[in-house]
Amino acid sequence: MIDTVLIVGAGPTGLSTAAGVSSAGRKVVLVEKEKVLGGAPILSRYAKLVPSGEWAKDAIGRMVKRVESDARVTIHRGAKVARLTGDAGDFTATLSDGAEVRAGAVILATGFTHFDSINKPEWGFGTFEDVVTTTQVEQMVAAGKIACPSDGRTPARVCILLCVGSRDRQIGREWCSKICCTVSANLAMEIKELAPKTDVYIYYMDIRTFGLYEDKYYWRSQEEFRIKYVKARIAEVTRGPDGRLLVKGEDTLVKRPIVIPFDLVVHAIGMDPNLDNPEIAKVFGVGLEKHGFIDRAEHYTSSFASTRRGIYVGGAALAPEDIDSCISHGLAMAMRAVGDLHAPAQAAA
Amino acid sequence: MPIHEKSLVAADDLLTHDKLVIDGVDVSGHWNTMMKPRYVSDYDADFQKTIQAYPGGENVHRCWQCGSCTNSCTMYAINTDFNPRYWIYLVNLGLKEELLKDRDIIWQCVSCNKCTNICPKDVRPEGVMKALQHWMEDEGHVATSPSTLFDEEFTRQCFDRGRIEDTEVIANFFRRTGQSIVDLLRTGWLGIMIARMNKWPLLGRAGLGTFLKRMPVTGPLKMGLMMVFKPRTRNWARTGEVLRQYVEEQKRLLKTKA
Repeated sequence: MIDTVLIVGAGPTGLSTAAGVSSAGRKVVLVEKEKVLGGAPILSRYAKLVPSGEWAKDAIGRMVKRVESDARVTIHRGAKVARLTGDAGDFTATLSDGAEVRAGAVILATGFTHFDSINKPEWGFGTFEDVVTTTQVEQMVAAGKIACPSDGRTPARVCILLCVGSRDRQIGREWCSKICCTVSANLAMEIKELAPKTDVYIYYMDIRTFGLYEDKYYWRSQEEFRIKYVKARIAEVTRGPDGRLLVKGEDTLVKRPIVIPFDLVVHAIGMDPNLDNPEIAKVFGVGLEKHGFIDRAEHYTSSFASTRRGIYVGGAALAPEDIDSCISHGLAMAMRAVGDLHAPAQAAA
Repeated sequence: MPIHEKSLVAADDLLTHDKLVIDGVDVSGHWNTMMKPRYVSDYDADFQKTIQAYPGGENVHRCWQCGSCTNSCTMYAINTDFNPRYWIYLVNLGLKEELLKDRDIIWQCVSCNKCTNICPKDVRPEGVMKALQHWMEDEGHVATSPSTLFDEEFTRQCFDRGRIEDTEVIANFFRRTGQSIVDLLRTGWLGIMIARMNKWPLLGRAGLGTFLKRMPVTGPLKMGLMMVFKPRTRNWARTGEVLRQYVEEQKRLLKTKA
């Protein structure tokens, strides 16, 4: 019986799966293409996580440490799976670092790619220094200072544009990225904490702070931190004669055009399918769904199954997902994988 | 190009020359109508706080624009320009100029409080309407409303004497609002009301006897006496003064809060 599970990706999903498989007494080979573990929250240096409010480096750091110090987990950093042969119960993977791994089941925890705002040029990213992304503001918060990149001044007025790279047929992103509303409300409050005199405006089409995030993030940001929510889809970001950015759009509720000066414009960027998904699909022989995320098979009785038997997929590789759900996906996939390790033994008995 | 949907543009934003000839072509009147640029160019971040300092306006910042207040509104059913949701939005973004365009209808709120009961975020829009009206009066954007004039007279008497005289309140209210008691008695609603209260028949139909029989005597006599002597609550002088100071202080505090 093969007692190893191959996990691809060491973000929250993969780390959770690894810990789960190990806790069931099975071995794990964890393959991560980057040199460090932790996935997007660590690589992109997120600030405080939703909903725990813990710093990403502490919370995800604990997940990394738990797996790194686990004797049943073998980690390949800076490596990819180059080739996969075999079938459910007995796969053989060849890694880019030359190693060969026999595994009874494969987990794809390959995550997502942040939307690249350069694909929405009318909103000024790449043209004006003071147009930034939520990821950059996460980094500012983590560093403890909110500043305009152009000259380092504290912005008197910040706006966050929601749905950048989400819900937009023009650029082929027909999905809601699920977490950006909550992340933006959270960031807006963090901006106010670091720069209390800064006024923060959020331009939205809808606010989708789902579940318990409704009052904890949306209401609280509005009621305690005086974040102003303006219903407007922005047309373009330009620069006025005084150097400040001008945000143009139509205020849906006033039914009037708006041209409002801001010091810092933040794109609430969405979650794209991982740029590597076409390659992943080829190497692992799994299908992609129409947006480019990894496709699922029947979910009700074969949860987290990809379109190939013995290969499971979860977390943000499936669709935009929040960290807490990713961790749950990870444990669910561990259950499926460990079950598969038993299956051949039972069949032989 | 002429503008067809003029109804959608505020009258002040339309520019028309009565006589205009361009390159020999007569484009007088609506043929040369132009619109002023009418984009919103800035927000006033402090305006929200100004309105919140008024009693009733405290929760205005909670609004998320669901529109429950407007679609439950008694006044909106009669006049779709009466839109509490919209005014609350203008307060929160600080679009004062837009708000003042509706200065002449905001007072129409009848305080039925359907909005208060339906609002999912407990904004209490009815209170916001009151706050807005008071702010507009304070800033001189609208004339002091009859209800404020009434309140002022009412409280003045309380401060002065620790009690009110109904007749004096009404008489002074009529005076301050420019209404003639004599005219109201003779041809207006006051005469009709008094006649109905006393079940007077029309003079032509019944005899003078019925009329005089129902003529109230002691009530008006008492009212007249009170107007002359103006009784005061015992030992009121000092209490009234303290009360007046306290109220003034509270008003000052409201201002500094804004």
